[in-house]
Amino acid sequence: MYPGPTSPVNRLHKSVSSVRSSGSRQWTQHGQNTEGETESFCQLKARLCGATMKKVLEVILLLLLLVVTHAKGTRYSPPGKPALTRCRSPEKETFTCWWEPGSDGGLPTTYALYYRKESSDTVFECPDYRTAGENSCFFNKNDTSIWVNYNITVVATNALGRTFSDPVDIDVVYIVKPNPPEQVAVTVMEDKGWPFIRVSWEPPHKADTRSGWITLIYEIRVKLEEENDWEMHLAGQQKMFNIFSLRSGGKYLVQVRCKPDHGYWSEWSPSSYVKVPDYFHREKSVWILITVFCAFIFLILTWLLHMNSRSLKHFLLPPVPGPKIKGFDKQLLKNGKSEEVFSALVATDFPPKSSNYEDLLVEYLEVYIPEEQELMLEKSMDLDVGCLKCEGSASDSDSGRGSCDSHTLLMHKCDGVKEEEERQAKEARRHQKDWKEEASTYAHVDVSPDMSSGRVKTWPSVFSPLPRYTSNQQGSLEMAKQHYLSDSLFPTSSTSSYHTQPGHGTTEAHGPGYWECGLSNKQPHLLHPQAQAQRQLQARSDDNISSIGRKQTPAGLHSPARRSTEYVEVERVNEEDMVLLQPVSGRCGDVEGYPEMPYGEDYSKVKGVDMDNMLLLQREVREETENCDTSSTVTTTQKPAACIHSAMPVEGEMVLGVNGYVDTATVCTPPTY
Amino acid sequence: SWSLFFLVSVVWVVLVCLLFCSRLLSVGAAPICTNAQAGCHALSLANLFDRVIQHSARMHGISNDLHSEFEQYFLPSKNQIGRVSRNCHTSTIFTPNGKENAQRMARQELTEVILKLLVAWRDPLWHFHQSIAHHHDFNNFSANKALEMSDMVHELRKGVEKVAEKMQMMGIISNSVSSLASPEALLPSDSAEWRLMKDYDLLYCFRRDSNKVQNYLKILKCRIVPEHGC
Repeated sequence: MYPGPTSPVNRLHKSVSSVRSSGSRQWTQHGQNTEGETESFCQLKARLCGATMKKVLEVILLLLLLVVTHAKGTRYSPPGKPALTRCRSPEKETFTCWWEPGSDGGLPTTYALYYRKESSDTVFECPDYRTAGENSCFFNKNDTSIWVNYNITVVATNALGRTFSDPVDIDVVYIVKPNPPEQVAVTVMEDKGWPFIRVSWEPPHKADTRSGWITLIYEIRVKLEEENDWEMHLAGQQKMFNIFSLRSGGKYLVQVRCKPDHGYWSEWSPSSYVKVPDYFHREKSVWILITVFCAFIFLILTWLLHMNSRSLKHFLLPPVPGPKIKGFDKQLLKNGKSEEVFSALVATDFPPKSSNYEDLLVEYLEVYIPEEQELMLEKSMDLDVGCLKCEGSASDSDSGRGSCDSHTLLMHKCDGVKEEEERQAKEARRHQKDWKEEASTYAHVDVSPDMSSGRVKTWPSVFSPLPRYTSNQQGSLEMAKQHYLSDSLFPTSSTSSYHTQPGHGTTEAHGPGYWECGLSNKQPHLLHPQAQAQRQLQARSDDNISSIGRKQTPAGLHSPARRSTEYVEVERVNEEDMVLLQPVSGRCGDVEGYPEMPYGEDYSKVKGVDMDNMLLLQREVREETENCDTSSTVTTTQKPAACIHSAMPVEGEMVLGVNGYVDTATVCTPPTY
Repeated sequence: SWSLFFLVSVVWVVLVCLLFCSRLLSVGAAPICTNAQAGCHALSLANLFDRVIQHSARMHGISNDLHSEFEQYFLPSKNQIGRVSRNCHTSTIFTPNGKENAQRMARQELTEVILKLLVAWRDPLWHFHQSIAHHHDFNNFSANKALEMSDMVHELRKGVEKVAEKMQMMGIISNSVSSLASPEALLPSDSAEWRLMKDYDLLYCFRRDSNKVQNYLKILKCRIVPEHGC
């Protein structure tokens, strides 16, 4: 198809064959001429020899040429296969193809590019080999068809042959690679004190974006001059771009490239340099401010913590509460002086030393005897005369009775003087003890084992106002509020000397026959009348002593049952200086229960106190129609026989000296003793 | 109080729904107005052009992807002679193959060419999708792309028709765009030619034609409304 250059060898062959053919022709031609002339045979031979000789010489020359080339050392070969490297169109209107030539085979080789268009068999050769440079083919606008498939081949030809390259199909639309963007302008601009770079460019002038023929998208890359990493930014179809977050004082390189919708990226535009101004100090100052501020706050916090470290510690680790004792001095304990430590624990004001003894006085006394004990008393009365022993059951401490309950005032069964003495001694001791103890609880039970239990109570507080009263008194007058045991069964209603406490002087002097008990200190007026009464008693007692003494004995035997200890309370003192006694309330029933009411003589009144400090009891006749009204019982002053007891002054004294109580039982001992 | 609360909430929900729906409706179905009727949302020609250009760009992109996939699977030998004589069924339609040719062509003509192309590809693409869907060599991704492509051709044709209407209305082109009536009239005899094409060739041809459409639309736009991005 393609006329190729004939090789020298072929030429040689041709010449040889032409020689042969010419020779044969001549031979035939000569054959035809042999009939006429024998003389030209030699001429013919000579001509033939000359033609042959020419040809032979040519061949020999050619052969020599071949030999010579061989002798030089190079080998001629047909050209190597060229290859189409690429075809590119910058604006989708023209395009260029480049190829790579193969080996040339040592001979001058020529290259030709041929192409065929789609759906056509016409072969065209490249119109322009020069415009695009070496080994290129440029297709201008007239030769370029878009959306048409080109089949391109490059042929390399040299003296020894030709070589075809592989064909390539291209469509111009897909091989568009535009030129780099032009007029790249980089400027530094400012946005509220922070600089940024504005890059602007123009599309390559060849690419027709204005008519919409090509649509280009752009890309920018930035880097600092001294670094190696580029920062890429895709800009789309716009022709301007801003770059932020720049390092102050840095020098930047900016490049732009573009690409059509479907095609290749252009080359990068040449670098544009830009220098960012310094805004370093402004940036730094902010950090300095922040650092200072934080340090300041940190210092404040530390100081606050230090100030409140204690409370913080308490909040986080609450202390374990330890024991606290009032008055307990820890320091003393640590010092090791235990006595001093515990001295604080000792309550110095216990028991309370209140001198206000009047508070401790009680106004009322209650006496009662359970029935069984009464029986016992009755039985035991056979032997004893005048001495009754009352034993009560174990009474409670303070079951509604007055504080004047005292077992010492109970009648005791007198077995003998000794017993009584013992008892009295014990009583005395006890009373003494009580007196010493300053018992404010006058209602408490203090029962000696041999004493009658329960009902007897001691109230040494009774004697407490004695010192006060004695100060006002003259001589031996006692303001003792004592209860006297009313005992109408005293056989010997002799005046018994009742002694009060020895330290306090004489016994108390009451009105003629009236006893007094438990008066509060609100009755100081009793002092004087009592003093007078005492003298009166003394004055009168002498008369009645004897009378009393005579009458006592039968009286004592008459009513043995009357051995109950009855406490009488003083209601008031009437105008005649008589202490009005008040029988115990509720005892009327008891009184009635008594089988034998004591009619007649009743030695419950003190008539007077004689010289020997002996109370002279006044015998009293009780009437049957005694009014049991607890409010008032007026016992008129009669002239009963006073119980004169002269036999036992000492004991009485002893007894009285202890506690001031008068025990009629002891005083009025029967004369049998 | 519970019933009252329920009522209030229902009323509120209904109100919100109404607001939302009205908003949606107003945006979606705004018809292109003719003669500037009142109450309709009139899109500008530039916007219409932008929309169709974007649509065509997307269509071309999908065709490009599918073609690349085909090349991987069915790479034909490069020296195949038959490849050179490929003949798309749309080659009968005269399309300008250069910038000058395209610029020289009248707007109306260009619009007609576009529409012809789009119309010519509606059925072949649908059948292409069918064949791909049933072919076991292709995954679902390719089949979906083919389907999308065929839909896009349909939509793009409608869009271009709307643009043509708008242009007619605006007096830019004369009212002789007659390609809208019967698509089959455009391809009188060779209607079955595309059936003979292989899938690969079909894709090749469509890839090129979609590029043509996109380019023609851009040329039209920059010729008619050059102020926006040209």
